[in-house]
Amino acid sequence: MILDKVTKHGKSELAFAGSLFLLGIFVAWDTSKMDIPQGSSIVSPQTFPYMVAAFTSLVGLVLILDVLRGNHGTPDGDEPGDPLIPVNYETLLIVAAAIGLHVILLETAGYIIAATTCFLGVAYGFGSRKILKDFFVSLAFAIIVYFSFTKGLNINLPSGVFEGMFGNG
Amino acid sequence: MGNSFAMLMDGFQTAFTPTNLMFGLLGTFLGTLVGVLPGIGPALAIGLLLPICLTVNPTSALIMFAAIYYGAMYGGSTTSILLNTPGESGSVITALEGNKMAKAGRAGAALATAAIGSFVAGTIATLLLAFGAPAMADIALTIQPAGYLSLIILAFTTVGTLLGASRVRGLVALSVGLVIGLVGADLQSGALRLTFGNMAAIDGIETVTVIVAIFALGEALYLASRHQFFNTEVIKMDGKAWMTKEDFKRSWKPWLRGTAIGFPLGVIPAGGSEVPTFLSYGVEKALSKNKDEFGKGAIEGVAGPEAANNANAAGVLVPMLALGLPTSATAAVVLVAFQSFNIQPGPMLFQTNPEIVWGLIASLFIGNTLLLVLNLPLIRFWVLLLKIPTHYLYAGITTFALLGAYALNNSTFDLQVALVIGVLGFLFRRFGVPITPLIIGAILGPLAELQFKRALQISQGDWHILIAGGFPKFIYSLLLLVIIAPLVWNFKKKFANKK
Repeated sequence: MILDKVTKHGKSELAFAGSLFLLGIFVAWDTSKMDIPQGSSIVSPQTFPYMVAAFTSLVGLVLILDVLRGNHGTPDGDEPGDPLIPVNYETLLIVAAAIGLHVILLETAGYIIAATTCFLGVAYGFGSRKILKDFFVSLAFAIIVYFSFTKGLNINLPSGVFEGMFGNG
Repeated sequence: MGNSFAMLMDGFQTAFTPTNLMFGLLGTFLGTLVGVLPGIGPALAIGLLLPICLTVNPTSALIMFAAIYYGAMYGGSTTSILLNTPGESGSVITALEGNKMAKAGRAGAALATAAIGSFVAGTIATLLLAFGAPAMADIALTIQPAGYLSLIILAFTTVGTLLGASRVRGLVALSVGLVIGLVGADLQSGALRLTFGNMAAIDGIETVTVIVAIFALGEALYLASRHQFFNTEVIKMDGKAWMTKEDFKRSWKPWLRGTAIGFPLGVIPAGGSEVPTFLSYGVEKALSKNKDEFGKGAIEGVAGPEAANNANAAGVLVPMLALGLPTSATAAVVLVAFQSFNIQPGPMLFQTNPEIVWGLIASLFIGNTLLLVLNLPLIRFWVLLLKIPTHYLYAGITTFALLGAYALNNSTFDLQVALVIGVLGFLFRRFGVPITPLIIGAILGPLAELQFKRALQISQGDWHILIAGGFPKFIYSLLLLVIIAPLVWNFKKKFANKK
């Protein structure tokens, strides 16, 4: 089996390349189902997306072949031939979760809580273990940003659970 | 030419009001502040500061922008020299020699030659920009949609294949960018693409969201995944940031040569600041009398590439202003800044918004001068910023990036998009796919489609128009050259190796 020769990193790279190929197919599928408004002009709104879809699948395919031939992408910051640094899923997921929580919390709990959570989470993911100190740093960061944006720059940010507590901020 | 000069003087008048000068000063300060932070390159710095700029009037905002632009560039080189963590490809060379100089106790001289070199290159290049961009715009007015499309395709190819080590991976990035550019309502027919019934997606994906997410969130996720946090080992700086007579003597020629290399390579879409800085480094190494110093901290190796980097940044603004074609991530953000004020860069810009564009060019001069005045004395303050612990730094960058993505439209959809693109940025870094082609694809994709449709409307659907006429033929011949030349080069190298 051809895949036997491919390393673990190569396999995940193949999955990446494969999903790119599928992305092209997906764009083509979405384009085929497009509602075309009446009285469209000479060039259909489908033409360009089909071209993009074909291009995406094509480079996806070329990338698959490239990986199978043993050419791997060099991770950012490494030199070609450097030993591969394995992905640390734990820290990766912590940081991703911190970002995700910010997205969810922003309009439900408000900016200050969302930003404090995110800041604290990323700091933890980056290896800091002084949680109490980090909590106060995060809170201070969030509060300073919140007030300098809402009061200083008049850019509205959700006040969330603190609604009405800071005037019409 | 005379006209350009008069317009530039008007531009200085616009920029020299106390309010606008204050915004220029603020921009220089903020730009350097954000640019100095490790892990933040100029494109991200401008992207992060965009929401702040949008709260003031267009002229002041663009003046602030010009200042941020140069400030962020300069801040980046400070980080490269003292910390050896280049924030962008243009500073890689600076880190190479500059960091060695700093380790040898010559940090002051390295910082000074970078600052003064950037100033010299920036001033000359901005002058060339002031005369070059209107001239290019005049020519561009005669370009037909088919010709315009050929230019965009040329930009796609050079940015996609010249950046990074692998051409396939550059094109991969470009294709994903094109897909991102498709999202939303088609400009002409209003047909919806890739929106999945999501109302917020109809307006398309914000370029700033893409830039901020792919740089800031992507980098944070990537560094976390490697669990490899650089030690903030800031090199101590003794004495002042200044250089001796000898340093001057060794620097001034590299500054000028760097400018001569950087500017033209920015004007033609040659794929960012990587090529000119490497080229300048090579030239300086070949010409230097102190060849053995290279790799150990040669001042020429900082002076030349730094000048090339700055001149390149100004050169990139020529096609950005005159054609509306950004060819670097940084130029892309500046384009977005214009668009946020409903100003469309392109051939007409110099006629429709002269006060803004000349105000901007004048501010580039002012920002550049302010930088020189501010930065050398303030260097100790900037060095303090380098001591922020990595975990707080990335926590701050991530949180601020999310704020930037949200504050543009007050939309949670933008935040969700940012998360997805952040993950994409992680995957790209992991698999060695360059970032810039994605940004260029996302911005220029819709423009390519527009010109494509216009061309076919003119010809009533006859596809021959795309390659008819002298201009497109010329551009496509260049394109062939760009594709074939590296192949021949590789073949020659292989052949030579076999021998």
